[in-house]
Amino acid sequence: MSFGARIALALILLVLVGGVLIIGNGAPVASGFQIASLNLPSAKAEKPFYQEEFINASQDLPFVHVASVTELVDHSLAALWYGGPYEHSPENQIYFSKERDGIWLSPQIIMTTEQVEHDLNRPIKCLGNPLMLPNPDGTLRLLFVSIAMGKWSGSQLNTSLSKDGGTTWSRVERLTLSPFFNLSELVRNRPVRTTEGWCVPVYQEFLGKFPELLWLSERNGKISYEKTRIAGGCSTLQPSLIPVDARRAFVLLRDYTKTKRIFISRSADAGLSWSKPEATNLPNPDSGISGIRLPKGRLLVTFNDATWGRSNLSVALSIDEGRSWKRIAILENDNEKSFSYPYMMQASDGVIHVTYSWDGRKVKEVTFNEAWVNEQEAKQP
Amino acid sequence: MSIDCFHYFYPAFAPWLALSLLLLGRNPHPSRLRSIASPLIAAGILLIPLEHFPLVRWIALLESNPSITLTLLLAIALIARVGGPRLFRSQDWRAAWLIGSMASLVLYPAALGLSPFDSYNLGWGPLLAIATAAITVVLLVIGNRFAYVLVLVLLGMIFHPMESTNDWDCLIDACYGIFSLIATILIVISYKISTGHSGNARRKALP
Repeated sequence: MSFGARIALALILLVLVGGVLIIGNGAPVASGFQIASLNLPSAKAEKPFYQEEFINASQDLPFVHVASVTELVDHSLAALWYGGPYEHSPENQIYFSKERDGIWLSPQIIMTTEQVEHDLNRPIKCLGNPLMLPNPDGTLRLLFVSIAMGKWSGSQLNTSLSKDGGTTWSRVERLTLSPFFNLSELVRNRPVRTTEGWCVPVYQEFLGKFPELLWLSERNGKISYEKTRIAGGCSTLQPSLIPVDARRAFVLLRDYTKTKRIFISRSADAGLSWSKPEATNLPNPDSGISGIRLPKGRLLVTFNDATWGRSNLSVALSIDEGRSWKRIAILENDNEKSFSYPYMMQASDGVIHVTYSWDGRKVKEVTFNEAWVNEQEAKQP
Repeated sequence: MSIDCFHYFYPAFAPWLALSLLLLGRNPHPSRLRSIASPLIAAGILLIPLEHFPLVRWIALLESNPSITLTLLLAIALIARVGGPRLFRSQDWRAAWLIGSMASLVLYPAALGLSPFDSYNLGWGPLLAIATAAITVVLLVIGNRFAYVLVLVLLGMIFHPMESTNDWDCLIDACYGIFSLIATILIVISYKISTGHSGNARRKALP
């Protein structure tokens, strides 16, 4: 090719790339958080209220894990978990249950290993952590982990959409989130609505263990996404994202260092950059945590109150934006059992819901209101 | 061909080309029969069913986004090995390995968590396409043929024919990255040896 032709090709290339940059590639830019408004009925708000029940009481599985509870657009509740014979079993399935008139309906199987293999046209080893994103248009976006090989470090993220309230699900799509064979991306904690879509806390546990955020948006049924980082290294994971306003947010982090403490990091630019994670005064035995922000600015966290083991589950409160914490209640305490992976959310009626793995065999839900929190706080010295 | 269909078949190209090259053996001038048979046998091997899936889908389990660069370099190598035109000269291969090495050093350590900054995130914005376009223009102007591969990579970044939506996955994958680093190390070693020899020769020539 002559020199003139090469120059012409270079110019065409520059115009082409420039044109694409002007049009944009459609990927979602990290965008401001939306804070859900509460619609507090006075009876539920003023009188202390506490209740506990098993969501899957009728289900007899040797292993259930990573439960979450979501408020749907019609203000009803839905819960999600995975379970089967054991943690990495190919027979594990993802279960979905809805609450009607205060009663949890029988769990429905919404995803199996065979279904994912069929849709993706490739083998997988087993299923793992699921998470539900209730879109404002009433559709439900499911994110879930599948393991390609080995254990959690060999995991990949997938998604599917339901337009009929969870009865049927679209063909599963694989999300590509890591350049190294797309390995080791997991979901676990509560997503937050943004102006463009969703911000989903994710984490990687391959060579390092570190927290990240997945930004999702949907246009004309097509999902687009990108990922940003909270911290690197082999330090903390499973971020629990707590927005304060459109720009400010906290993340509470599970510890993977020898510090054995819950870590906290702060953002003032809508999650684009984060402060260096700092240890709080709450212990963490390398186990999952979940936090929310109450309407008056107080932070609430559910956690295993120990530096080793998961035989208890407690609730702590912070009135100074996570700088100090005060234990206010013990939800579980039994040395013979394990209580793990709490998932906390506040519904639009102000009721706080906590779901967790109860001894690895049941999904338990504890519900209480802010008046109960105030009562518990007042009881503490 | 729908985009889903392309997502299904695209990851098969790189393993098929690589296996075809392996089956051709080390003989630089394989027989005509072997040149025809190797790609056919490679395709047959990749279609062997293993637990309900052909072997090639097991490869896609791990690598569903072979880079456009790797696929084209393998195709260029295979065309040359089966008696087709030699599309790349040694300087074109050197550019391919050098750029692959630079890209892997920028991408993998940070993306895998060695820094608080995630270099993989650049692939969801325009920066990586701009950098690739700049390198392509330079290579085009100096007449390096690796530029034509990068032109197709840029088209991939625009039209996103792969399962991944990240531009990095058009440019590089772990296999191309590892090959590039090994090849670059070998190029540097051979350069050191050759300059060492010429240096020694010059010293010996001095009175």
